[in-house]
Amino acid sequence: MVRAPALAAAVLMLLAVACDTGQPRRERTDRDPTAGFVWQLPPGFPIPRVPPDNPMTPVKVALGRRLFHDPRLSGDGTVACASCHDPARAYTDGRARAMGIRGNIHPRSAMSLTNVAYNATLGWDDPALTRLEDQARVPLFNTQPPEMGVANREDDVMKRFKDDSQYRALFLEAFPEDQDPLTMRNVTYALAAFERTLTSGNSLYDRWAYGGEADALDPDERAGARLFFSRRLNCFRCHAGFNFSGPVVYEGSAEPAARFHNTGLYNEDGRGAYPAPNTGVHRHSGRDADMGQFRAPTLRNIALTAPYMHDGSLPTLGAVLEHYAAGGRARYSSPHSGTFPAGAATDPLVAGFVLTPEERGQLVAFLQTLTDASFVRESLENIP
Amino acid sequence: MSSIFIRTTTTFVALMFFATAAFAAGSSSKPASDTRPGVAEYNAGVKLMKQDKFAAAQSKFEAALAKNPDMAEAHNNLGYSMRKQGSANYAEALRQYDRAIELKGDLAEAYMYRGVLHMLMGNEAKALEDHRALTGMNRQLADALQAAIASGEEPDGLEGLAKAW
Repeated sequence: MVRAPALAAAVLMLLAVACDTGQPRRERTDRDPTAGFVWQLPPGFPIPRVPPDNPMTPVKVALGRRLFHDPRLSGDGTVACASCHDPARAYTDGRARAMGIRGNIHPRSAMSLTNVAYNATLGWDDPALTRLEDQARVPLFNTQPPEMGVANREDDVMKRFKDDSQYRALFLEAFPEDQDPLTMRNVTYALAAFERTLTSGNSLYDRWAYGGEADALDPDERAGARLFFSRRLNCFRCHAGFNFSGPVVYEGSAEPAARFHNTGLYNEDGRGAYPAPNTGVHRHSGRDADMGQFRAPTLRNIALTAPYMHDGSLPTLGAVLEHYAAGGRARYSSPHSGTFPAGAATDPLVAGFVLTPEERGQLVAFLQTLTDASFVRESLENIP
Repeated sequence: MSSIFIRTTTTFVALMFFATAAFAAGSSSKPASDTRPGVAEYNAGVKLMKQDKFAAAQSKFEAALAKNPDMAEAHNNLGYSMRKQGSANYAEALRQYDRAIELKGDLAEAYMYRGVLHMLMGNEAKALEDHRALTGMNRQLADALQAAIASGEEPDGLEGLAKAW
């Protein structure tokens, strides 16, 4: 009997293949002057910013890729980074909420790693989390709930790699300046280096915007793009720029202010409260003004990353459009919807709009043009 | 529409406007002094342009160019001032942008203005060409032009790109 996850993965693969026009990724190469690393970047994409203490090297990226896909990097050896960040789903898991070791369910949904190098902040709601090296420690060491369960088992985990001659060689080569390179610190640094290479920019939309193919989008997709970028809908105000996301950083960029949004998904108390523990930036700051504030993720490959929102509570892109069209789901589904104070907590850009059925279809068609099948295919081909 | 929404949206648009203007201001080198021929007329034109007095601004930019025909920025802003006076001026505005870019191939603001004009004239492929050129010069302007081309709507605050010296 075929297991449901395996079947879903197979369907996704078929979808990816069906959408893949067979065109190779059109990339340009950029050399990182500090380390001689040659980036493979899509046309029009800036060079990712790299911390000075973790320069990019091919061997470090190779080590990070191997670690990313290796379940030995979890406390009990059952869960890899890739368990929740599956390349077949643009590095998400298809679940509403992520599942860690021993079936522990995380409060929030696994985020896509598409173009994660450009995110000014990481995670759904943490303004202070800005480095991939630091972010990697969160799933490794989290205990509430355990995700990868490395806390208090660090020595056991590292011993697995120390006992593996291939890993020993990779660590030595990736961190030649270290006397003892097999450390958890270097695990997170290698993971971060690998994640910075996950750039995706070969979608149909990119062929239109950057590739000189004025006819790459069909009339419905083109109409959907017009809606997405219109003042009437304002989608692009939050899912902005080349990455269709919140603030980005890159080599030579300014330091953008972090941005988070309350989209009116919940209203637990008539004043816009979100259900604990998913109260957004509020769970870090304790400030009422931060209630329900979450980061706008990239919409690249969004058709592959259902279900949606921080808790996976919207199953389809159609449901997401219904949420935003209403000016926030809480306006129609909350027990306090009648008392929802307009503008009190919800981002003013989530003001609601009316779409005809035809326009709804066009907008979904446009969002599907952000799928980069070559990114998925090459990610799967490169699994060690 | 609530007053909170209007205030917040206005603040957001203003922040975007000034952020874009501040960023753009750094994309072109500033002359060593204001003594070049035509600079006084050019600056007067920028002031009028930002007040939406486009016909008066056009006269000032033309006067600047009479004194200094190679001032790329004046060609660029002349094109913008003409374009804002109606579609009958589009062809001449386009010639001014072309001349600005011919004189100064890295004038990001001119690619932005010209890309928007191509979009308004229905020349999407040419607008996208300017977008591609802009990605290597000024990422934020490139993203703003991409949104304009995709939506078919003119971006807010374009006159904020004009620099005075």
